Amino acid sequence: MIPETSDLALAEPGAIGPCHVGSDALLGIKRQQTNPTRWNGQSWLEFAAALRDCDIELRENTAACGTFATDAGGTAYGLPHGVVIARSAAQVSPLLKAAQQFRVPVTVRGGGLTTEGESVAFGGVLLDMTGMSRVLHVDTDALTVRTEGGIFWHSLAEELRRHGMDYLSAPLNLTSSVGGTLGVGGIDVNSPRLGCSADQALSVQVVTPRGDIVECSDTQNAELFQRVILGYGQFGVITEATLKIRRYTPLRMHYFYYDSLRTAVEDMQLLNRNDASDYSGILTIMDCAVNLLVAFDSDEREAAFRANWQPHLRGHGEPGFAMCMLRRYALRPWKLPEAWFLYQRKRELFPEFRRSEYMRDGLMYDRTVVFSRAVWKFWGSKQMVIPDLATSAEKFVEAVERGNAVCRSYFPHYTLYMVGIKLRQEHKPHYEMSCIPADAKEWAYGCEFEPMMDGQVYSRDYLQSFKNAIYDIGVELGGSYYRFGGMMKGYIRRVFGDEVVDRHLAMKREADPAMILNRDVIF
Amino acid sequence: MLSFFKKTPAARKSYNDCSGCSLCLLVCPVWRRSRDISLTPHGHAKAMQHGLSAADVAASVEHCTLCMACEPVCPENIDIIGMILELRHQLDTPTWLHDLQARMQERAARPVASAPSFSTMLLPDQALHARADILARIAVLLGSVPISDDDGSDISLALESGTVIPEQRLQRFLSPLRQLKKIIVADGLLLRHLKQWLPKANCIGLGEALSGHADVRRGLRATDLYLIEPRAYHSDYQRLVKHYDRLRVAHGCTFNLDLQRIAIPATARNLPQRLGLAASNDDEQARWVLHGRNITRIVVESLEERAALEKASGFPVVHMAELADDSAQF
Repeated sequence: MIPETSDLALAEPGAIGPCHVGSDALLGIKRQQTNPTRWNGQSWLEFAAALRDCDIELRENTAACGTFATDAGGTAYGLPHGVVIARSAAQVSPLLKAAQQFRVPVTVRGGGLTTEGESVAFGGVLLDMTGMSRVLHVDTDALTVRTEGGIFWHSLAEELRRHGMDYLSAPLNLTSSVGGTLGVGGIDVNSPRLGCSADQALSVQVVTPRGDIVECSDTQNAELFQRVILGYGQFGVITEATLKIRRYTPLRMHYFYYDSLRTAVEDMQLLNRNDASDYSGILTIMDCAVNLLVAFDSDEREAAFRANWQPHLRGHGEPGFAMCMLRRYALRPWKLPEAWFLYQRKRELFPEFRRSEYMRDGLMYDRTVVFSRAVWKFWGSKQMVIPDLATSAEKFVEAVERGNAVCRSYFPHYTLYMVGIKLRQEHKPHYEMSCIPADAKEWAYGCEFEPMMDGQVYSRDYLQSFKNAIYDIGVELGGSYYRFGGMMKGYIRRVFGDEVVDRHLAMKREADPAMILNRDVIF
Repeated sequence: MLSFFKKTPAARKSYNDCSGCSLCLLVCPVWRRSRDISLTPHGHAKAMQHGLSAADVAASVEHCTLCMACEPVCPENIDIIGMILELRHQLDTPTWLHDLQARMQERAARPVASAPSFSTMLLPDQALHARADILARIAVLLGSVPISDDDGSDISLALESGTVIPEQRLQRFLSPLRQLKKIIVADGLLLRHLKQWLPKANCIGLGEALSGHADVRRGLRATDLYLIEPRAYHSDYQRLVKHYDRLRVAHGCTFNLDLQRIAIPATARNLPQRLGLAASNDDEQARWVLHGRNITRIVVESLEERAALEKASGFPVVHMAELADDSAQF
């Protein structure tokens, strides 16, 4: 029996009711509300007084709270009762102790790039981690960096570059935070080789929900490390992290164009299986205009690719693909508006990836800047939904094709971004109940389905229906998702199963008795 | 037909269009110092979206140093500087600027100079006025270009503080400039507005003018750290990023550019700090500019940044006008 929404609203924090959304449910079918219930503010004054006793600055004015009213998704809205800018673990610790004592929810926010309201506070205190953005130590011999958890990856890159270094793998987004990324995964176009960003963490300093400051790694407090990495912020606040780094190199870029999603995905997987490139990923303009990006750190790797693997790829170069498209639309003149869209998109997008200040002698410098700026310029919007599917290699083509069909039925224009993620067997405990699907072996594959809003404003119901339709595919395929928290948490039991979810819930209750930390994100 | 394919510049947007991407934070010296989002364009935009007024964000808006770095990185093409100036305009004029209106009225009453017989003019800023030797050197380097007797410093101050500029004063300032083909401007904020007020004139920054001069370029070394003046650079970013990239390729020197090719200011002073009315601490910002640089000398476009760098670094700091070979020019 489907419970009433009001029943769920009154349930204890951490309770996840059965999902309202049937596999065929779209319009007219009741589903979980998108915003969780706002915390009622009980004991807020006592909590605020406790913080002031600890000399923790708590901002309760409308300007401070309104700054964090939504996240990058722009569909979930909520106001905290107050905002604290994180300054140190020693400051976060008493804050969490007081929150535990007075049962005040604490929502932790890094870059705020969530799309499902995971970094939106529905009452309680919002902890702005960007206040902890210092790089503490760069070790160019050991190839490690120690940094505060709130730092943006781009700020870290700025610091590392002054030492001739770079991070290994981070989201193609300048304003993702290190702590936030380690908590959810983080994919890059070098993830097929290096794994997700979370796999680059050697150790982290965590403030637990009870307020203890704990250093953890694979060898020290390993159980906490397993829960914090890819743990969606449920088991602690990452205040510092030690990450692997490497010498900085510009990229040798190659682009191959396909008119078939399936062929492009198969070729990308071929490259990954054979370690044929340092970077690979797929970005589509349309489902008949698919770009496979392949890149290299060294001339040697590039030469080996040209000799051994390029001949096997079925994609075209730019002129060849232009001919291919000419043929396609010559035979389908009724699709000329589509051709015009493609032409316009190419005219806008391509120069952005070839800006002279980032390209020299055929090499691309600062790829993250190039890609991230393009992402925000051409895909950014006040309203963004990016449902995704993560599957094993074997199921990926089907997931992409079915997800693409859903996109086609909802939006005139959209983009798919696909990348492989090399898995580390020794990190298997980290992967449980995360974006890494349980049946993935050497690689997991992820595809983000991003509609282009084209200046339109869609209702939350419409966007929710779209996301549900994508996520239903994941349930059927036995996959996972990157964004399963917040508004999509109704899928958690369906995709992970009761046994895993209940086990994690029990661990959460043990670690966070008052269930204060990032409430409603997962539990 | 050709115009059909020509790109048209996108219209500037307002705070209402801010998507909250935070890219402006990455380049904001105020954020670097404070790590406080409410003091950044992102913070202003979200507060305004939330229905707050200029008075609600007054303290935050006053922190802005107007380095203009946020504008070129904004993917939504929001007129961030215009919005900040508008917010300041909505606030009461600070008491320490009470005599500014009188100064502008006094200047407005001065007789208008006759139409110039030359086509190019140099508009120095106050820091250059204070260094007559360097100003004279610049004028010679630029081909004995005449120096404007009205530098518009009061107008620049009014712009920065959000003070109303009397129409009479503005016309007094612009009138002699209307006939010019080229205006070389030292003040980056004034440059931004002159481009709007005099769209037919070729208004360029002093840094660009000097860095295009062969004698100055000859003086550049591969081990120099070249400090681009942020305001002028960011006000014409799309064009100047290529100008300075060519300079870097040709001479191999290092620039105060971050990975987004945004100029990192060597100072991070808001208006009261620049006027000496509030304490400023430039050391941290200057240290960040210098951090990890393998250099032997610092070349500055702006004299204002020179002092901060001389204090923070052990390297010689020279103005770019001083790079030209003395025997060749002076």
